[in-house]
Amino acid sequence: MTAPTTTAPPAATGGVAGPPSRLWVTPVIVLVGLGLVFGYLATQTLDSVERRTINVETITTRLGEHLYLTALSTVVVIVLAIPLGIALSRPALRRVQPAVLAISGFLQALPPFGVIILIAFTPLGLGATTAIVALVLASFLPVVTNTVVGLRQVDRAMIEAARGVGMSAAQTLRQVELPLAVPVMVAGVRVALVLNVGTATLATYIGAGGLGTIIDGSLRLGRPTAVLVAASLVAALALIIDWLAGVAEHLVGRRGG
Amino acid sequence: MSDGSRPMIALEAISKTYPGQSAPAVRELDLHVPAGAIVMMVGPSGCGKTTTLKMMNRLIEPTSGRILLDGEDVTAVGGDELRRRIGYVIQQVGLFPHFTVADNVAVVPRVLGWDRKRITARVDELLHLVGLEPGQFRDRYPRQLSGGQQQRVGVARGLAADPAVMLMDEPFGAIDPITRDRLQDEFLEIQRQVAKTICFVTHDLTEAVKLGDRIAVFGPGGVVEQYDTPEQVLTHPANDFVAEFVGSGAAVRRLSLLQLNRLELDEVTVDGVGATNGHPTYRADADGRAVAWAHLPGTGAGDLPPLVTVPLTGTVYDAVDVMLEARAPLVAVVDDEDRPKGALRWEALVRELPTKGRP
Repeated sequence: MTAPTTTAPPAATGGVAGPPSRLWVTPVIVLVGLGLVFGYLATQTLDSVERRTINVETITTRLGEHLYLTALSTVVVIVLAIPLGIALSRPALRRVQPAVLAISGFLQALPPFGVIILIAFTPLGLGATTAIVALVLASFLPVVTNTVVGLRQVDRAMIEAARGVGMSAAQTLRQVELPLAVPVMVAGVRVALVLNVGTATLATYIGAGGLGTIIDGSLRLGRPTAVLVAASLVAALALIIDWLAGVAEHLVGRRGG
Repeated sequence: MSDGSRPMIALEAISKTYPGQSAPAVRELDLHVPAGAIVMMVGPSGCGKTTTLKMMNRLIEPTSGRILLDGEDVTAVGGDELRRRIGYVIQQVGLFPHFTVADNVAVVPRVLGWDRKRITARVDELLHLVGLEPGQFRDRYPRQLSGGQQQRVGVARGLAADPAVMLMDEPFGAIDPITRDRLQDEFLEIQRQVAKTICFVTHDLTEAVKLGDRIAVFGPGGVVEQYDTPEQVLTHPANDFVAEFVGSGAAVRRLSLLQLNRLELDEVTVDGVGATNGHPTYRADADGRAVAWAHLPGTGAGDLPPLVTVPLTGTVYDAVDVMLEARAPLVAVVDDEDRPKGALRWEALVRELPTKGRP
């Protein structure tokens, strides 16, 4: 039981992303970092190949694709993994819980790069759908695990108290178990988001676009400046998304007991 | 005790065997709880008292037997509906940490679909009843309350939908002794106002004796060894098991059962009004309150002990406590206005205490 939980370290924090006074740290780091990169860029003279990559239009398009892949895959993960996690924590299905968590852990152990390429050989073929399937497989585990763990750590006595005063099983789940599990569940979604931002960089290899396209193309053409810009954007994006999720985590963590 | 009337809760030959266990946790148990009575279920751990309690509201489904609630067979009705008709109070872990005090109390009314106005009024009424000022406590979260306050909220929640029956599972178990004592007094005071039928699980015999109209002593294997009034359990244990469970402190515990207003007290007289007739005499202030002893038979004027008092509503246990504390050989028993109604002397304790009929 302990093995799957360790793959999602933020679960251990129980969902409090540090005191609010430190919430400004990440945005400052991101802004300073991007400032340095673009400051450096301003001192460089770009050749025609670089100008074709490093311009507002291309970057916006690739960034949009990247965000689309990340957002859609995360939504799919939430829609599939949270109900599965809830179902697994019901008494009727609790017996298959270890097996499902093991399979989900196995999926996550597969390198996403390999999975993306392999799925491209299935009837799904190349494109965004394939990329999203691969991203979903890669980030499924933290959400399932944290849903299960979050629900499991709700005090049994509290659930029994809810049933004891006459709440139905569904009311107990909705009003007591889920609200108390939300901080841990949000921590799982945060891990999934960050995984997806990173892994979406690989989507370019099956023609699904994203910021990886700029990195890969510029590497091939030997344009390190363009690689630097695109890679910094991926890093900044991952940090900002993690920060936003952290803020959300902090807000839901503060409400619970 | 309404022994003759129909019991509010009746368990008939109820048994529970947990899956995978050969011996039943509760065996063929019969228990009748009279309406308006507090029945205390005591016994060592693992003797089935909590299992029995939870079968009353079917949190645990009995393996066999019948449960009757006010004459109606509820063995097969929907468990959720049944539980909404029965108050349930457990240790303070049962409060929902993400609900405010008001929301915690309002859980059952909300499930029952009361309108908002009625719920608010009921919550305020109940918070008043349990001694928590609504304006101050309504919007707090459980973690902002002390253990005793949390437990009061728990009691308020149990009472919310005004159920005829309350089940309480060691509600004061995790509370420090001083607060527990006060909560018990408040609980009895509330019960005087609401007159519920209450089943109360505890492992603390002193608590059982203090609160119970009747005590059910559970023994190993989930059977009731004795079901009787606290006095009977303490003075006439049904068998060796009960005798051992009641233990060597039974004689002292019995003192807390005997209320002073049921005793024939020694007469006392006010100083300066007529003859003393050999009675203890006290000096009183303008309102008739006792200030000091003026004369005690057989005691010289220089050896007079301090005048200590105990209310008429107290027990012999309280009187002993006061006497020991003040090292006084007697205590004045006073009414609500602090006017002495009599005295209890230390020597009387070791003789048969003379009692009047029940008031």
